[in-house]
Amino acid sequence: MADARIRSSQLVDETTTEADAVAALTIGVSAALFALAVAAMFDQVSLTGTIAGAQTVTLLGGLLTLLGLTVIALGAGSRLGYVESTPDPSAGLVAGVGAAFPWALLGGSVASGVLGLGTGGGLVGAVVVGGVALVATVIPREDVGSTVPLGGLLLITGLVFATGVIGPAWVWELGWEQTAAISAQFLIPVATLSTTLYGGWAAAKAYGGFGARGRHMGAYVLVYLNAISIVAFLFILVAFVVIQGVPGLLTGFEIGIGAGPEISLLGVSVTLPVSIPFVMNGVALLNEFQGVLPAIVGTFWLVIGAVLLAVPLGVGAAVFLTEYAERGRFTQVVEVATNGLWSTPSIVFGLFGFAFLIPRFGNGKSLLSGMITLGFMLLPLVVITSRESMLSVPDEYRDASAALGVSKWQTIRSVVLPAALPGVVTGVILGVGRIAGETAPILLTMAGGTFVPDTQTVDVIGSFQFISTPPFVANPALLEATSALPYQLFALITAGVGLGSNVSDPNGFRWATALVLLIVVLSFYAIGIVTRYYFRRRLQHT
Amino acid sequence: MTTTTEQPTTTTVGETDERTREAWTDFEFDGEAKITVEDLDVYYGDDHALKGVSMEIPERSVTALIGPSGCGKSTYLRCLNRMNDRIPSARIEGSVRPDGQEIYQDGVNLVELRKRVGMVFQSPNPFPKSIRENIAYGPQKHGDLDTGLLARLLNRDDTAEREELVERCLRDAALWDEVHDRLDDNALGLSGGQQQRLCIARCLSVDPEVILMDEPASALDPIATAKIEDLIADLAEHYTVVIVTHNMQQAARISDQTAVFLTGGELVEYGDTDRVFEDPHSDRVEDYITGKFG
Amino acid sequence: MAQVNPSRGDRLVDAVGERVRRARGFVDDTEPAALVVVAIMTVSIVAALVGFLAVSDWTIVPFAVFLLSAAVGWVRYQAETAFTIALMMTVSTILILGLIIVFIFRESIPVVQYESAKVFGVSVPGLRMFVQPNWDAVSPPIRYSMVPMIHGTVMVTLIASAVAAPLGVSAALFLSEIAPATVREVVKPGVEILAGIPSIVYGFIGFTVLSPWASDQFQVTGQGSYLFVGIVVGLMALPTVVSVAEDALSSVPEAMKSGSLAMGTTDWQTMTSITLPAAFSGVSAAVLLGVGRAIGETMAATVMLRGVPRLTEPLVNVFYGQETLTSIIARNYGEADGLQMDALFVAGVILFITVLVISVGAQYIEWRMYKRLGGEV
Repeated sequence: MADARIRSSQLVDETTTEADAVAALTIGVSAALFALAVAAMFDQVSLTGTIAGAQTVTLLGGLLTLLGLTVIALGAGSRLGYVESTPDPSAGLVAGVGAAFPWALLGGSVASGVLGLGTGGGLVGAVVVGGVALVATVIPREDVGSTVPLGGLLLITGLVFATGVIGPAWVWELGWEQTAAISAQFLIPVATLSTTLYGGWAAAKAYGGFGARGRHMGAYVLVYLNAISIVAFLFILVAFVVIQGVPGLLTGFEIGIGAGPEISLLGVSVTLPVSIPFVMNGVALLNEFQGVLPAIVGTFWLVIGAVLLAVPLGVGAAVFLTEYAERGRFTQVVEVATNGLWSTPSIVFGLFGFAFLIPRFGNGKSLLSGMITLGFMLLPLVVITSRESMLSVPDEYRDASAALGVSKWQTIRSVVLPAALPGVVTGVILGVGRIAGETAPILLTMAGGTFVPDTQTVDVIGSFQFISTPPFVANPALLEATSALPYQLFALITAGVGLGSNVSDPNGFRWATALVLLIVVLSFYAIGIVTRYYFRRRLQHT
Repeated sequence: MTTTTEQPTTTTVGETDERTREAWTDFEFDGEAKITVEDLDVYYGDDHALKGVSMEIPERSVTALIGPSGCGKSTYLRCLNRMNDRIPSARIEGSVRPDGQEIYQDGVNLVELRKRVGMVFQSPNPFPKSIRENIAYGPQKHGDLDTGLLARLLNRDDTAEREELVERCLRDAALWDEVHDRLDDNALGLSGGQQQRLCIARCLSVDPEVILMDEPASALDPIATAKIEDLIADLAEHYTVVIVTHNMQQAARISDQTAVFLTGGELVEYGDTDRVFEDPHSDRVEDYITGKFG
Repeated sequence: MAQVNPSRGDRLVDAVGERVRRARGFVDDTEPAALVVVAIMTVSIVAALVGFLAVSDWTIVPFAVFLLSAAVGWVRYQAETAFTIALMMTVSTILILGLIIVFIFRESIPVVQYESAKVFGVSVPGLRMFVQPNWDAVSPPIRYSMVPMIHGTVMVTLIASAVAAPLGVSAALFLSEIAPATVREVVKPGVEILAGIPSIVYGFIGFTVLSPWASDQFQVTGQGSYLFVGIVVGLMALPTVVSVAEDALSSVPEAMKSGSLAMGTTDWQTMTSITLPAAFSGVSAAVLLGVGRAIGETMAATVMLRGVPRLTEPLVNVFYGQETLTSIIARNYGEADGLQMDALFVAGVILFITVLVISVGAQYIEWRMYKRLGGEV
């Protein structure tokens, strides 16, 4: 790297380390306060108790006040010239509306609640106070406009909490017919959370020296926070289900030779060394442990049936659309139809299955109707992804094949389809993940028999039989109303208990069902994502 | 010097050693150096794209960078305004000093740098906005021009200044006569040559000191190219122009000094344009100029 | 001299003529035996379809003929058979959508006639369902009003959109423009996995964890609020918004962004002034699709809502949640029959039309934007 260089006051930033440090510290304090507020919201921290010797509410209030003062100081420091910064003449309308919103909320609530002016008064108060905040943000120079109104908000909120004007016992009855009230339990964490967010935003802008760079910093802080929250949310959600569901999943779990059930694998009778009753049993009076095996088997057959229906149809349609048809009215109509199918709500598919399929397949709920309904749901996804895959096969491949004198269909069969196969497979896997978790379509077409003994897991293959009257082929298993995992969970929620006395922990049973469903669905998604990644890497390396 | 008929090989320093190369690239000129580059190395991953380039670019003149494709001219150009930062695999070592201030160090204000060192790209890239908005874009984003709703309400807007700026830049870019009556039209509706001149006008709007041009006329027809070349000659009176071109005749026509990059990212020769084209020091440069390869 | 602007009718005639010519060309080019096989296939599948629609037990016969002829054709005349089968499969997509539309509309007719209201002496079928707000399936006067459910769906969708749109677009910006490559490799699959979590699982968690907490926080009687159903549905619609918006943002050409950055703007300025406006159509389509997803969400709503169809008092009371168009279907399908079942179909029709309009609207916006930018961007 280069050696000594002449410092310039313009091209290279003059680092005002003290102000930067203060701004960074402010952002840190807001982050900590944010976390504290989240903890308080979910009762991890008690509002009536104490933290480190101080009353929680007082502590929150004090920190908020401090934050507010610091934010105002950052703005003042820039305005009065103590800190180098590059503010714009105005903070802009976006910042103005952003600041006006919480102030309007505050003004409206105060007018309506504290001053007792009712809804009309509340609206007026909101508009007035919001308007003042808007003006106070956009008229002064940017460094004052982005800090003072928000700092003021923090100050007021902090003082209100610290001085006990709103204490842990505070409640605001909304006076509605269907009664509701806003309690301190809700207000204090949420108000802390939102004002802290604003404070962090203002401090980030100050850290960037206001102006375009400051706004850039402020925006990045918020965007990063959003992305982190989403990922954290996912983790917490999955972890929560896992933690709650594992005990139920593992009730009666045994490892050891001869511990598990006997199954026949390729004609040989094998005793599994592992016994997980939850996924290996059904519900029966004589069971030591109850399980959801019939539901798992039901989901399995549903997926197979749907795939058998949707994949040939979808790939065939995609082949026609990309290879044979010319862009025109017909393809447009098909595109509209495909998009329409794709966006149709799942419950409407269920209604359709109920109206169209059930009367034609045994006049009652059946596995077959469920399969076909889910197949219809899977179809648009297969068409769309197959089309995309085929379109991304370069024309050069087709041209090269045609130049060798190979017919169109042969080209499709030997060149296009194999090249498009990875994309199609990935699309199907992801689609299967989606439909495996769907409840609404099967609710109306298939679901029944929740608590089925495992001896009655539907045996599709073995039930095919020929009969003498039309339609000459029958399969009673396909016409049964069976259970599937999503429906199982739904029934457990709505029907409540009913599992019999063998289930020691009905709540745990429910969570375990949710966990098994999650595992099945997420496995499909994980496999789909991994295959897509793998195929993309392969494509890039060729 | 032995006459060779074989193609020069890649990657190695070649038939010239360090000292010879330094001698061939040491260009003495009157006046100030606007940008000083010292020992600039650029790596894209493992690929050593630019090898130890040092040169001084004189102010208010046209410096041309020529050489065969893929020998690092554009990479070098993009180092001068740190646009290579956009490429994740790029690693840059060395020193680039416009006006004596090092730009490859911590704490450099990229916004300020790019205000001073502007860039025109190979393919015209006007924004999908009106002609007027394209030109006002830079100063607006820098906070120097405020024509927003709020400013207009408070009577603090700079609409008059904006119109003045737009006219000045379009005139300087020799585009005013063609578009002055349709400043609100979408810039994407202009012809290729007009779009490129619009991009030059846009570049001028922030009042830069240096203008970097990356093959600005390569996507244009001969007539448009001629207009751009005339424009460059005019621009050199006020700005320092550094232009990458694969068209040697163009370099010979419009530049004051020429730098020759050869395969492997080496700067092989740098000097007064007439001298480089008529009597180059290096055999390889002579082979390139006379068309034996490239 | 040919006309410069042929009239609509002329163009139609030309198109039909072109089709006929192509069909005749096809007939001329193919062997007669292949044509016979294709003809048998076509006739048999149509017959099978008719038989299926007519709930006939004999449907299996033409279907077996179809399978047989297709097998024969595949072995002997594969190219023609493949073409025919592909064409049939394409037509099936239109057919399925058509069947869905026909059947759900058909089932809803009786109750629409029942719920007629008089406007200026003219009886308008179905009007009463949207005018009076009572749903009473048990005690006379029996009324099937859609108003409470529409109110519920609107409340939930508004809150869900307020959650999904800003957070989703912001996350899409993050993934497409801001995140370094390694972070992107983690967050993008994360968002996709979020999309994979089944709706019933969300509903279950909402029901067991969120609703009790909520009714405690707001001191309401009973459990179930539009606010929290809206938040949950918003989180479910979030991944849809993120993935579609991210695709749109990624396809903004790098040259445009470089042009802005070379002028000395910050990354954020480039994003808001160049990238977002250029991708505006895609981003709005993303938001619209997210809204459509929120409208169609069933299981989480069913499990978390109270299930008593009525308007909340006052209308903006988000702390109580009654019933949405989707949840009423899922909840009542079991006991309902006759007119009540038909009323559920009406709810289905409303859902279908609304989501279809939104989806077509999103497509239209993208098409308009594509045209406006001259197909260049």
